[in-house]
Amino acid sequence: MKHLRRVLLKFYQLFANSKAEAELAREIAAHLALLEDEYLRRGMPPEDARRAARIAYGGVEQAKQLHRDERGFQGLSQILQDTRYTVRQLGRSPGFTATAILMLALGIGATTAIFSIVEGVLLRPLPFPDPDRLVILGDVLEGSNCATCTRPGVTAPDIRNYMRDTQSFSHLGGYRGRLFELSGTAEPAAVNGTRMSAEVFAALGVPPLLGRTFTQQEEADNQQLAVLSYGMWQSRFHGDANVLGTRILLYRKPYSVIGVMPRGFEFPLNPGHVNQSEFWLPLSLQPEEFTAGGAAAWNSRMVGRLKPGITAERAQSDTERVARDTMRDYPAYMHSLRIHAVVTPLHEDTVEQARPLVHTLFFAVMVVLLIACANLAGLLLVRAIRRRREIAVRLALGARAATLLRQAIVESMVLSIAGGAIGLALAAVTLRVGVSLLPQTLPRLKEIALDWPVMLFALVLALLTGLLCGLAPAFAAIKTSVNETLKEGGRTGTLGSGHGRLRAALVVAEIAVALTLLTASGLLLRSFEKMRDVKLGFRPDHTLAALYVLPHQRYGTQSAIDEFTKTLRNDLEQLPGVDAVGVTSFLPGAGDHWNIAFTIEGYVSPQGAGLNMATTSLVQGDPFEVLGIRVRRGRVFTESDNAGSPLVAIVNRKLAERYWPGQDPIGKRLRRGMPETSTPWMTVVGEVDDVKLGSADAETLPQVYQPVTQTVASKGVFATAGELNASDGWIVLHTRMAPEQMQATLRATMRQIDPQLPLYQMQTMERAIANSETPRRFITVLISSFAIAALLLSVLGIYGVIAFSVALREQEMAVRMALGCQRSGVILDILSSGSRLAVVGCGLGLLGAVAASRLLRSFLFEVSPLDPGVLALSASAMLLLTLAASALPARRASMTDPVLALRGE
Amino acid sequence: MSNKDKESIQLLQGTLDLIVLRTLATMGPQHAYQIATRLQQISDRLLNLNQGTLYPALVRLEQYGWIKGTWGRTESNREAKYYEITKAGQKALGEETKTWRRMSALVERLLIQES
Repeated sequence: MKHLRRVLLKFYQLFANSKAEAELAREIAAHLALLEDEYLRRGMPPEDARRAARIAYGGVEQAKQLHRDERGFQGLSQILQDTRYTVRQLGRSPGFTATAILMLALGIGATTAIFSIVEGVLLRPLPFPDPDRLVILGDVLEGSNCATCTRPGVTAPDIRNYMRDTQSFSHLGGYRGRLFELSGTAEPAAVNGTRMSAEVFAALGVPPLLGRTFTQQEEADNQQLAVLSYGMWQSRFHGDANVLGTRILLYRKPYSVIGVMPRGFEFPLNPGHVNQSEFWLPLSLQPEEFTAGGAAAWNSRMVGRLKPGITAERAQSDTERVARDTMRDYPAYMHSLRIHAVVTPLHEDTVEQARPLVHTLFFAVMVVLLIACANLAGLLLVRAIRRRREIAVRLALGARAATLLRQAIVESMVLSIAGGAIGLALAAVTLRVGVSLLPQTLPRLKEIALDWPVMLFALVLALLTGLLCGLAPAFAAIKTSVNETLKEGGRTGTLGSGHGRLRAALVVAEIAVALTLLTASGLLLRSFEKMRDVKLGFRPDHTLAALYVLPHQRYGTQSAIDEFTKTLRNDLEQLPGVDAVGVTSFLPGAGDHWNIAFTIEGYVSPQGAGLNMATTSLVQGDPFEVLGIRVRRGRVFTESDNAGSPLVAIVNRKLAERYWPGQDPIGKRLRRGMPETSTPWMTVVGEVDDVKLGSADAETLPQVYQPVTQTVASKGVFATAGELNASDGWIVLHTRMAPEQMQATLRATMRQIDPQLPLYQMQTMERAIANSETPRRFITVLISSFAIAALLLSVLGIYGVIAFSVALREQEMAVRMALGCQRSGVILDILSSGSRLAVVGCGLGLLGAVAASRLLRSFLFEVSPLDPGVLALSASAMLLLTLAASALPARRASMTDPVLALRGE
Repeated sequence: MSNKDKESIQLLQGTLDLIVLRTLATMGPQHAYQIATRLQQISDRLLNLNQGTLYPALVRLEQYGWIKGTWGRTESNREAKYYEITKAGQKALGEETKTWRRMSALVERLLIQES
């Protein structure tokens, strides 16, 4: 109790110090007066009495110091005092202070903003209880070396087998996301939903906000139940508490709402804002999903919670065993397929793809911060040198080195904390605006926020920055040689060369890191340019696209679908302003496609080459004409290529060159599946140009086009009972006017044919391509703006250092010019000292660029990370800018008036 | 000074607080000079104490809330800060005295046994 009271009072003393000092002085004076009276009374003469009183009292200053130590926390109170002093000092040079604080605010603000992405996307634990125990289970299909297979999937029989036969999971279930046609509440709309095992809810361990989730029994009974997301509940049901029991129509089948999940519940953890699942339905696998093509379609995923004490490795071998059993039971038509079970932590699975991007951004922003730091250290150093006479006088008067050190650090701390506070505000504003601009390839965007860990990060960053920036000037201050400095008198001609070297080192470091970033930005810009140069293989202008999916409930027979498609194509062709109409299952540029295995007649795969995978687009009408895909050989499909006629296919150039190099592909035959799969041959009737199905910087894949009417027939043993052709597709229109103007017309036409059928993702092809470029544009723009910031900051730093050294050498210059040195000589001298720094900095910077190339490699497209052009260009730009930055002080130096040499200071 | 001839002793940590408290308890409000004088009297000048060394003890006791200082006038009409023991100070004095007695008795017993 007494101690608590005392600690509080000691803190209070920090702020009431001057009052306590006055009181103490008064008390001591009174004490001395009383003592003096006493000695006077004893008959001493006044002079002696005063002396005797002082002796009896002891050292007044010592007593005061003892009193101070006792009454308050001295370390703190000194720092407080130093802070007040610093703030006063800084207030006297507002230009310097504003520059320093703004520079730090930019550096710390940008770093904090990027760190909030690092924290929200990569570092924060997933929003489930005990998230480390959650794993993704999937198969890697041997030989299917395609880019889209990095996220291992499972088939319907896999889900059944893994759930039934593994022992490592307390809960394990499958899920599969897809687009749903939602009607029954308002305007029909397309929404993302997920079919999932009841066990998945149990594995994730998040209870619903309202109602309940479905049970395994309900799932097995094929009950049509739905659990809504918080977002859907709010947007479509206005947060109505009576939503439970409501019916929604999905593909025109009724589902009753039994629960609402809490806000922030998100599963699967898909990248981007728009792909989030809005509701969850029981997976209820149907018998046809286990047979024929269903058994060979890896289109679902599995998530599970490991049993306590079971490691991921144990689970891996457990699942591997089940996978072997599954393979043993493979039907004859797929017995050559080999799978491996893979267990990945859910967190890893979620963030893996985002990691390189986030790391690169963080690295780049740290470089900017480092340069800002170096600049500030340089500025502070210059200040310290300007004040070295003051420092020398203080040292001569007995100031301790520790005091000088503390004051220097306090000064840079005050600046960095002020900068940090403003930076935090900047970061908050940036995040407000910036999150919506993040590429949709990042997961967990909702979790990006300025929360406590981020604030703490900013604070620590500010403190570290202050400490780091303060060190250089602090040591410069204590290394000040009292004798030398005071002897120099007013003359500033000679300068401690040690400090000069320190400043030079700072500038060299700045140039080096700025060049590293500049090179990175150059490489990314070059990649972007290369991507823009890529031939997409189709013509995107004047083209409008939209997706439809026909609900089985209404279009349950082939004739109903055929009727719909025929009407649709007829009606669209009649529209004024429409040149050509086509329907295709994969839209170029949209990035949404998958691959299947093919067997090519007469082609023997080299040992270990794996499966022959190709993307298969199912087409109606003439999408080749609509999209301007050039036919290289043969013909396009006609109306007579239909369900009853011989099976035909069109291949792209890549496929033709891979399997029939140097030959005419027309007349060759291929079929779906593996050699052991019984499927009918298709005859190649045409060869077309390669088309980019995803973004332009993605790999071009072998492609096969088939008439949609022949789909089921070509599937052979893969076709499930009752499977229908053409139940979905992308409508593509080539228009004479701007494609945006056709949107309303397209919608109206569709509404006439089926008022309940929504059109999904209607967009112009130019828009689709722009979207596919977004991730690359994002990183390019961001890294380039960091590079520009780094460049400006380092040029500023170079200018500062050269200008300062010129100012110090003014006297020397005047003497030289008085002795007949030419102006050009002076200019050359200063330029050469600037360029020396630049050359050393650029050399180190190029080494840095080589070191950073590993990090950058995954973002480059058709550009080597050591592209000589880019390296040379960035280095020479850096050199030129450095020269420009030293040209200004050089010119000023050449203007020095020789009379100055005579005057001195 | 005469006390230079005698062997002076160092004050034990914390004993100064006890002495100051005790002085204020028996003599009523005192200023620092009076306390110092009193200290020299009772120690028979054995304590070689600069009067300034009293100040830390005073500020410490004041922060504990055991004594309270107020400005007043001396008989010779000089201003001085008078310290007065508080209620909490009285209580603390009782406890500290007990602790001290126990302590000194213990040391005494030890010294007797050793000799």
